[in-house]
Amino acid sequence: MASEARPAPAATERADAGSNGHGGPILDVENVTKRFGGIQAVDGATFEVAEGSITALIGPNGAGKTTLFNVLTGFYPGDRGSVRLQGRQIFRQPPHRIARLGMVRTFQITKALAAMPVIDNMMLAAPNQPGEKLRNVVLRPVATRRREREAREQAIELLEMFDLTRLADSYAGTLSGGQRKLLELARALMTEPRLLMLDEPMAGINPTLGARLLEFMQRLRAERGVTFLFVEHDMEVVMGHSDRVIVMAEGRVIASGPPGEVRRDQRVIDAYLGGSAPPSEAGSSP
Amino acid sequence: MSVAELLALDLDGLPLAVDLGNLTDLNFLIGIAGVLAGVYAIFALGLQLNVGFTGIVNFGQAGFMAVGAYSMGLLVVKAGFSFWLAMPVAILIAIAFGLLVGLPSLRLRADYFAIATIAAAEIVRLFANNARELTGGNQGLSCAEDDPTLCYDNTWLDIEDAGLDFAEGLGWSDPVSLFPLFVAVWVTVIVLTAILYYVQRSPWGRVLRAVREDEDAARALGKNAFAYKLQSLAISAALAAIAGFFLALNVNNISPREFEPLFTFFGYGVLVLGGLANYWGVALGSIIFFFLIEGTRNIDLGFTDEQQAALRFMVVGLVLILLMAFRPQGIFGKREEMVLGE
Repeated sequence: MASEARPAPAATERADAGSNGHGGPILDVENVTKRFGGIQAVDGATFEVAEGSITALIGPNGAGKTTLFNVLTGFYPGDRGSVRLQGRQIFRQPPHRIARLGMVRTFQITKALAAMPVIDNMMLAAPNQPGEKLRNVVLRPVATRRREREAREQAIELLEMFDLTRLADSYAGTLSGGQRKLLELARALMTEPRLLMLDEPMAGINPTLGARLLEFMQRLRAERGVTFLFVEHDMEVVMGHSDRVIVMAEGRVIASGPPGEVRRDQRVIDAYLGGSAPPSEAGSSP
Repeated sequence: MSVAELLALDLDGLPLAVDLGNLTDLNFLIGIAGVLAGVYAIFALGLQLNVGFTGIVNFGQAGFMAVGAYSMGLLVVKAGFSFWLAMPVAILIAIAFGLLVGLPSLRLRADYFAIATIAAAEIVRLFANNARELTGGNQGLSCAEDDPTLCYDNTWLDIEDAGLDFAEGLGWSDPVSLFPLFVAVWVTVIVLTAILYYVQRSPWGRVLRAVREDEDAARALGKNAFAYKLQSLAISAALAAIAGFFLALNVNNISPREFEPLFTFFGYGVLVLGGLANYWGVALGSIIFFFLIEGTRNIDLGFTDEQQAALRFMVVGLVLILLMAFRPQGIFGKREEMVLGE
């Protein structure tokens, strides 16, 4: 399956990437490695994320999911490998540049900008605001004000969708944990992302809100064509809600495919139950 | 002439055990506390931008002030620049120094950055103290060696005379000699505060606050946090340089003693009093701080000079302690922002 995509020359891939909806991978990760001292946290991870899919990245604790996430989004510099977003190489690019290319992440522990009002959290994320450059504050006040108006409208629309409208003027730090999760998702959407990367969105929230989050993902894909890659360590959560599942263990991708298939995969079962390396690798006696 | 006389009040009739006469003296109000409060308001505006709005702890502000003051003085005295050209060039030099300090150190964790800035500031001060050929060392810098009539404040002294003549023309029989400097400093404070206030309300200022709250969140949303921190530090260095010009004009002699790290912490005292993340609080905090520091020097409590000198800082300390107890966010600071900001 992956071998079909590989022979395509780079030029074609890039042309494809230019026009949306070509069905090819929006994200193409090859042989990414990351070592911390003596620990090989990510050990040659290779996978693809299809455009318009909801893909789950799962694996037992310590499998390297979050580290891989940080390498993909530029927060950690990777050691080796290739990461292409819509055909464009982004490996070892700084986080803000990756975010501007349309791949935007959230954090496992929410990062609400606590001492800023909710509406400012939202408007901050709006792209292409000329007034974020100091010289434009002086030179382009009209364009700045126009963009602010647009951004405020978009922000209010999104806050409505996430049921946060009445909190617009509250400090983000006063929100409950669940509301912060929603705010972080809404804020990420303000950037008009192509690919949203959610790091354990279900962690630390009640099952009702977890279900709502998953519904939001479905809806955003349908309405806005957003692709999702999310990290989760509980396998049951992802079964009904993702098109594809990528399974990591000990820094490697050990399986990927539709949820039902992956669940029956012996290597996945071993990784979850035995907590050791997949049988195909050496040195994995319990 | 004192305010009491101006207002025709009879202070002697008040039941005060101490002599407050000096405190109401215009020479004190305008010349000492007024000018110093203005200089440190400008100085602390930069700290407010760094600490209050960007979340970077700059302990090197006195060093940036030294770079500004010495650059201006040296450009006039040694390089023959006019006073008016020397100031913008000195500001550019201070900005360049800010970038030089910030580029390697702003990637460090906040506390290590603070240490790096205080080290940079001490390097500047110790260099100025030892490079006697260039800066005059601990004798200070005021005029050219080969031409004692060429001093950095010549142009200013002309303006000052004109200002005093003008004040006399208005009917003020014996104007306070530092009155023109007082006006210049405070006009500058107000203009700079207004500019910073305006700029902080822009999308640029919003990104700064986001960097203060959580740098990683800002980066994840496509903001180049490092570039914003660097800009914040560079602007702060420019403000310190402007404060340095006024300080140099106030003392007529640029000496390393004026740039000890203590003065950076005076700036932090001003910030704490006025409140974090509020530019208007800076001016008020500075006025209170310098009236306490300089005022306690002038009240006659019948103590010896040594006791009086120690008392000054005890009073300031006491005021800060009371402030922490009853209004920890400072005079203008927002309590919510302080509590939520962790």
